[in-house]
Amino acid sequence: MRASIVKVALWAYAVFSMAPLIVMLLSSFRPTSEIFDRPIGPPTGFGNYVKAWTEASFSTYVVNSAVVVVGAVLLGAVVSLLAAYPLGRRQFRGRGVFAAYFVSGMTLPAHLGVLPLFYLLEGMGLVDSLTGLVLVYAAGSVPFNVFVLTAFFRQLPHELDEAAALDGAGPFATFWHVMLPLVRPALATVVVFQFVPIWNDFFYPLVLMRDEAKLTLPVGLTHFFGQFQNDWGTLFAGLVMTTIPLVVLFVLATRQIVAGLTAGMNR
Amino acid sequence: MRLAAAAVALAMAVTACAPSTTTRADQGKITLSVWGWGPEANYDKMFAEYEKANPGVDVDARSFTTATEYDTILSTGLAGDNGPDLAWLRAGANLQPLVEAGRLLPLDTKDVPGLAAYDEKVLRYAKGDKDGKVYGVPFAVQTLQVIYNKKIFADNGITPPKTYDEMISSAQKLKAKGIIPFAFGGKDDWMLPIVASIFGTAHWGGDDFIAAVKAKQKKFADPRFVEGIDQLNKLKPYFPDNAAGVSYTDAQILFSSGKAAMFPGGLWELNFFGENAKDIELGVFTPPVPEGQGLMPGFTDGSYGVNVKTRHKAEALKFAAWLASKDYGQLYTDTLRIFSAVPGVTPKDPLLGEVSTTFDRHGATYFMNEFAYGNPSSAAVFSKALQEMLLGRITAKQAAEQLDKSVSTWL
Amino acid sequence: MALGARRGQGGNGSSYLFLIPALLLYSAFVVYPLFTGLTYSFFSWKGTLRDSFAGLDNYAGLLSGSFLDQLLPALGHNALLFAGTMLVQNTLGLAFALALSRVRRGKRALQTMFALPYLVNPLVIGYLWTLLLSPAFGPVNALLKPLGLAMPWLGDPDTALPTVIVITTWQWVGFPMLLFSAALGGIPQEYAEAARTDGAGSWQVLRRITLPLLKPAMATVTILSFIGSMGTFALVYALGGSNGAPAGATDVLGLLFYRTAFASGDVNALGTSSALAVFMFTFIFGSTLLLERVLRRKA
Repeated sequence: MRASIVKVALWAYAVFSMAPLIVMLLSSFRPTSEIFDRPIGPPTGFGNYVKAWTEASFSTYVVNSAVVVVGAVLLGAVVSLLAAYPLGRRQFRGRGVFAAYFVSGMTLPAHLGVLPLFYLLEGMGLVDSLTGLVLVYAAGSVPFNVFVLTAFFRQLPHELDEAAALDGAGPFATFWHVMLPLVRPALATVVVFQFVPIWNDFFYPLVLMRDEAKLTLPVGLTHFFGQFQNDWGTLFAGLVMTTIPLVVLFVLATRQIVAGLTAGMNR
Repeated sequence: MRLAAAAVALAMAVTACAPSTTTRADQGKITLSVWGWGPEANYDKMFAEYEKANPGVDVDARSFTTATEYDTILSTGLAGDNGPDLAWLRAGANLQPLVEAGRLLPLDTKDVPGLAAYDEKVLRYAKGDKDGKVYGVPFAVQTLQVIYNKKIFADNGITPPKTYDEMISSAQKLKAKGIIPFAFGGKDDWMLPIVASIFGTAHWGGDDFIAAVKAKQKKFADPRFVEGIDQLNKLKPYFPDNAAGVSYTDAQILFSSGKAAMFPGGLWELNFFGENAKDIELGVFTPPVPEGQGLMPGFTDGSYGVNVKTRHKAEALKFAAWLASKDYGQLYTDTLRIFSAVPGVTPKDPLLGEVSTTFDRHGATYFMNEFAYGNPSSAAVFSKALQEMLLGRITAKQAAEQLDKSVSTWL
Repeated sequence: MALGARRGQGGNGSSYLFLIPALLLYSAFVVYPLFTGLTYSFFSWKGTLRDSFAGLDNYAGLLSGSFLDQLLPALGHNALLFAGTMLVQNTLGLAFALALSRVRRGKRALQTMFALPYLVNPLVIGYLWTLLLSPAFGPVNALLKPLGLAMPWLGDPDTALPTVIVITTWQWVGFPMLLFSAALGGIPQEYAEAARTDGAGSWQVLRRITLPLLKPAMATVTILSFIGSMGTFALVYALGGSNGAPAGATDVLGLLFYRTAFASGDVNALGTSSALAVFMFTFIFGSTLLLERVLRRKA
């Protein structure tokens, strides 16, 4: 009885969660004038998609975005994972200071540093380069990653290191063979939660990129917002197209997270 | 560690594969890059004319449609070494940070002869406040008025009002028929002073009053100004329900979908409605006041400036000279359906011609742009105050007092 | 490298080795630009050109009447957002994680659906909800009108902030849910089984075993929510513009910083906004450390 109430509640929230997205999806198949006459209605055609695809050169942007996001997320996750291990599990001088140093990056308005960052990258010849963007995003993801991963390392049972130490494993071996398999769920979470904001960010590419051929997807979107402010149908079509890769990734990643979770539970 | 190394290597490898910097100049052809915030296609079309007449030059227009980010993009772009050769500049107060940082080339009539013919009222907005030098070639003058749907007017036996009472009775008539008289939304607060000035400028007596405030002889809390902005309260029954929650785009759509009869706004809307509501025949009028004829506020929009670091100074100046010419002015007006700031251009569009005549006779300065200084700017403070007034939280007098208080911090 | 005595597992040296890559990357591309940005607060600026040393003038400017009139309400709104996030979003997230841990069929589908809104660009979410809640065309009010429940939502100062909290929850609830789920996954099942063998009911297992073990995760979620609520920008910007419409009811520190830095047109915008950022940093970082200390001690 109680279980079924819980189930109903869960599915009811799922409806609330999905409804706006479904409205967006449906609207992307309807002419704008119809959307304004009746906000909700059946799909009528692909016209918006044709328009959105031809007006915004999405294909170049998609490739750039993918390169930047994959590079940045990987780099950010790897360095953060390494850093989080000693912060969460080992005793060493200055641990608290290092932890605070990393977390402090989350509490500043990121846009504050844009001018010095611009000069820095210009000095390194990295303005207008995807490498520059990768480095900026990867570095920007460090505070959050370190914070979450540290918390997870801290949570793992203490007996693990002791057992590893008894087996004569050094810190790197312990990290690689004992810890890494266990933080997989947290790692999947971190990857997903960094992937999305970087995929969606348009501020840095706008300021740091000049060459049209190197722009990322969200910049294309901002053009879109400006150009189709009132053409909701086309706008929605563009939005659906940029969101779909994330949905695919996410569906795949939840599988990973769930797999990681199960592994964690059955260890 | 192996994984880390592999990941770093991968990241480097993928990014290295990306296309390298495109090679610019092919066989002595010079590319002038121009940054702006309007629809790119229109500029490509206009600049193609220049390229035709100047075969050695390729003008590359880049548009950043997000208006607010544009300021950041431009200020960092001009600070760095690979900024544009020319760029759209904002008018008046918002131009000053670039001027004071020394990012722009001062223009004189030797290089840009066309500037000599500009009206001082127009040119003022492209000048440095401190040094009085001209830093841009103004491109547009915007006027503010009421745009109306001719068919809805005709169907309801209404003509553009000659008197204030007539305007009110027409609005009542429309409302009784279930048509929203004025499509106006106060959610985007920058619209509020614009609409207040459309209905109120004549109440406070236009430029004379503004000059008196600037000379500190009068305050905004003056009953005439209060009466002017109070028009928003008086006309509230004829705005959409819950007007403070209606966004600017909502208001545009109310008008373009034929649900509303009139749209108080800038002349740039003609271009928009022309494209998005092709079947609606548009007319314009200046709202009358109880004392009689209303005033049409207007302001100088942005200008084209030259980057002080441009590698093609001579070509950039030559292009700037063309931008100040009647050829460009005509092209601009006819392509964009907006008044060019170049003097002596006669618009081909009949509606634009009509507005031009009214503006010559009953034009006034849009007050808010004169008071866009301070941090927070007085314009921002007043926009918010007007929003609170529209929500019924403060009175018109209190809103005006807030503006006075803000202006007193910098005037 | 090995400084001081070896304590616990492992020594200092190898710990530092682990830290180096992150330290380098983070210091160069986050700390250095931000720190440089902070030093800007001690200078007066002409656009992007540094002018003269200004001492604390920029800070004094923050405390001037007209600026303080914006700063304090904005800070208050951030605090309300944090309270709302804790109360609504994180409570729901925890409830969902707990409920889902017992669901067998459709679990992954539900998880995915709850978390999906997070994927959408915040600007897009702004557009989407503005349309849904639009007083002129919105389907939400169209549906609620017959029930007499139509509301101004984002159009009225009294309902705007709660509406923002609802939309924030809609967007973010998957986040605490996933973190709590992951933490639940880390709790060995034997604990609960042992308690049950001792005759504990499911409510008691929850209260005595599960929730206490979730405390570290709760601390994580609380701190991230605090930082998120204090730094919120994209969504409020998309919903209410840079001034936090209506009438500043959704104005927050992030918007204030944005306006001051990029949209004021003030020649000294860089100086004032940097001072504001220093204030924000001191306040948010200080509170975060405090929160961290309090929460971790309890945990």
